[in-house]
Amino acid sequence: MTLLQVKGLEKKYPDGTVALKGIDFEVNEGEFIVIIGPSGAGKSTLLRSVNRLVDATNGAVIFKDRDVVKAGTRVLRKIRREIGMIFQGFNLIERASVLNNVLHGRLGYMSDFKGMFYLFNQSQKKTAYELLHRVGLGEQIYKRADELSGGQQQRVGIARALAQKPALMLADEPIASLDPVSSNVIMDYLYNICREEGIACLCNLHQVDVAKKYATRIIGIHAGEKVFDGKPEELTEDIINQIYHNKKKELVANE
Amino acid sequence: MSEKQLLQVRKQKRLQVFLFFAAMLALSVWSAISTGFSFSGLFTGTVDSTKFIIFDLFPPDFSYIASLVEPALETIYMSFVAMVIGAIVAAFLAIFASATTAPHPIVQVAVRAFSSLFRNIPVLIWTILLAAAYGLGTLVGTIALIMVSTGALTRAFAEILEEIDMGQVEAVRATGASYGQVLAQGVLPQFLPGFFGWSLYMLEINIRASTIIGMVGGGGLGFVIQTQIKLFQYEQVSMAVLLTLVLVLIMEWITNQIRERII
Repeated sequence: MTLLQVKGLEKKYPDGTVALKGIDFEVNEGEFIVIIGPSGAGKSTLLRSVNRLVDATNGAVIFKDRDVVKAGTRVLRKIRREIGMIFQGFNLIERASVLNNVLHGRLGYMSDFKGMFYLFNQSQKKTAYELLHRVGLGEQIYKRADELSGGQQQRVGIARALAQKPALMLADEPIASLDPVSSNVIMDYLYNICREEGIACLCNLHQVDVAKKYATRIIGIHAGEKVFDGKPEELTEDIINQIYHNKKKELVANE
Repeated sequence: MSEKQLLQVRKQKRLQVFLFFAAMLALSVWSAISTGFSFSGLFTGTVDSTKFIIFDLFPPDFSYIASLVEPALETIYMSFVAMVIGAIVAAFLAIFASATTAPHPIVQVAVRAFSSLFRNIPVLIWTILLAAAYGLGTLVGTIALIMVSTGALTRAFAEILEEIDMGQVEAVRATGASYGQVLAQGVLPQFLPGFFGWSLYMLEINIRASTIIGMVGGGGLGFVIQTQIKLFQYEQVSMAVLLTLVLVLIMEWITNQIRERII
């Protein structure tokens, strides 16, 4: 069943940069889609338009029959709480405890007041404990987030996203600031949990080999346009070259 | 870029540096002439003031200390109350004055202008203006200090808010948190260390400023100093000055201790 539809998505930043030039694709439930493409191709903008951390200029993003682009504040909150997100820079609240960071995943389900004053109830805390045990951080629950290593912080990030009980997971370059070993651990956690829970995942990567290893489907983006959408097996050397080099090589040659 | 262009750029840079220093020198000479500044004048002035300190101010009248306790406490009360109220009001205003948290750019400009007005009118002027309305006393001093504290802290807090890591804020927003929740859970933890640091610094500044505003009728130690000067009681004046110095040093020490523990 279709979970997310992206239709003719365009984004032009105020400084004139055109990041997306009309992107179309659909995400079905349980898919693990990896988006690849060179730096500056618009991968990050695309992902951020899905939960509207970036406002699209044109087009539609339909998540469970609701248009994210046109949603009002209340509807947007309801959409966002069903979409987990993990970031390249982990983006944990550094001065807060690991536990509190995971509890932040519940904010979208809480009243304004309770959320502002840290009034999390026992069942929420229990869920947070369980999630932290699940990502192997049972020992670190009361540490400050910035005391953890990068790989551990990203696992907290995954736990925070899972606390939202999401239907869709957005992962923006989740392993770009990690060493190879931690990268493997993170990708394994992300992949296995998403598959087990039936969470669809949209993951930005720039390592093609990692993309091929995990993806059930790969989307290739070049200069704001979709240039490939298919199974990992269909991603040939030729297509990879097209995605990553395309016109760029010519530009370098001319200089 | 060609060799020739690079040389051109270097020449231009050198000329800029030369012009800058030439302009500085010209301005200094001009200012010195206009103000009648001279090194010999500086020297004779030093001799006179040293004489004044040795023969008139010394020794400080230690018996006077008992009657200075109350003004000294007044100074502390004024500074503390002004800091607390200033910090609370400024924290609220800063949310609207910072580009990262302001709900609308126009609000931001308005609040910035407002706080700039409070901050840039010197505390001395505020006291004189307010004394006309409220009469002399600690109330006037306190209100003047609140005005300036609020203005200065709003600016400082707004800048802290602009420097926070937006990635962390974005992550909280992405969970579906409301505006208030994002402020409380994403912004506040990053804001608190700076909030305490600047507020304590403001307390120090207030203690120093309160002696000045005391002289124009704001109460506290400054008021005593001004009164005793008018009565030519210089030994008592020097006692009050000494006490002010001690007060400032103690306050600096205390705030440093607190700062180290919090941040």
